[in-house]
Amino acid sequence: MVVLQNTPTVHNVVVCTLCSCYPWPVLGLPPVWYKSAPYRSRVVIDPRSVLAEFGCELAPDVQIKVWDSNSELRYLVLPMQPEGTEGWSEDELAALVTRDAMIGTNVVPPPVTADGVKHE
Amino acid sequence: MNNVHDMGGMQGYGPIEIDDPSVVFHEKWERKAFALSVAINTAGLWNIDGSRAVRESLPPLQYLSNSYYQIWLDALQKQLISTGMVTQQELSTGKAQGPGLPGVKALGVEQLPAALMRGWPSARATDHGARFQIGQQVRTIEAHPKTHTRLPAYCRDKVGVITNVHGMHVFPDKSAIGPDDPQWLYTVEFTGCEIWGADTSASSISLNCWEPYLKAVELANDTN
Repeated sequence: MVVLQNTPTVHNVVVCTLCSCYPWPVLGLPPVWYKSAPYRSRVVIDPRSVLAEFGCELAPDVQIKVWDSNSELRYLVLPMQPEGTEGWSEDELAALVTRDAMIGTNVVPPPVTADGVKHE
Repeated sequence: MNNVHDMGGMQGYGPIEIDDPSVVFHEKWERKAFALSVAINTAGLWNIDGSRAVRESLPPLQYLSNSYYQIWLDALQKQLISTGMVTQQELSTGKAQGPGLPGVKALGVEQLPAALMRGWPSARATDHGARFQIGQQVRTIEAHPKTHTRLPAYCRDKVGVITNVHGMHVFPDKSAIGPDDPQWLYTVEFTGCEIWGADTSASSISLNCWEPYLKAVELANDTN
């Protein structure tokens, strides 16, 4: 397993263009879209448009690195820690992280406070 | 094998249909097809590369119009028949016509979860040194084998840089049709431009390449 760390300037996203390789022991079985032709064909050439379909708009200066998971080595994306979660416990952060963020098709959104206002 | 499974860079497949993340199997039969495939794989009559080779060799229209578990199921049926585990008549009727192949035994339900967690380890003992090192420029080969390969069409005859060396691993191109033939495995990073020219939003694409996929780049060739 190779962990790919996102930074303010680099966003990683994982695909298996040839079939459906995916880190089962960590993320479970892959969603249908991960195995589908639209995702496998496009994310390797135009990842920005794919992320946009997941509601993820990255700043234009963020580099997108694509990892084609074609061997038995599996990848997991380590998403950026969202603002407003400094000092949070592992359990609190685990409740916030999403499967898609660990594939790389999205980021982890900032937490929503009790009054429904996002931390910015 | 050049076929429609090798779809990296194709542009006509439309928007991504994002399914409900809380649903693992969308049809009841998919759960069974998955369990059957995983369980029968443990009988040891074929390996993961052999299974992939059969899925990839399905006719293009069948591959593209099938759901993913239907691809698995169609390929599994071909493998069951080609290895003699099941006859066409048994598949058609759903009834066993005789005893199973002697000496062939798949894992039981109790043992399967642990087997699933182990996956299919591909690392093998190292018996010679690696030809390439981290930071070195390499060019992928131009090759069109009619058999299984993990070198996608979009990434053939392209120059990249070695960014990781993973030891020796089963070589799928050979393992799908015979002995493992372990080879050194590298991660190679290609710039988006090297692969797609200006028509890309990827800054780089990283691919794992077994040593037979790679050639050294002569520096003199890069000065033009």
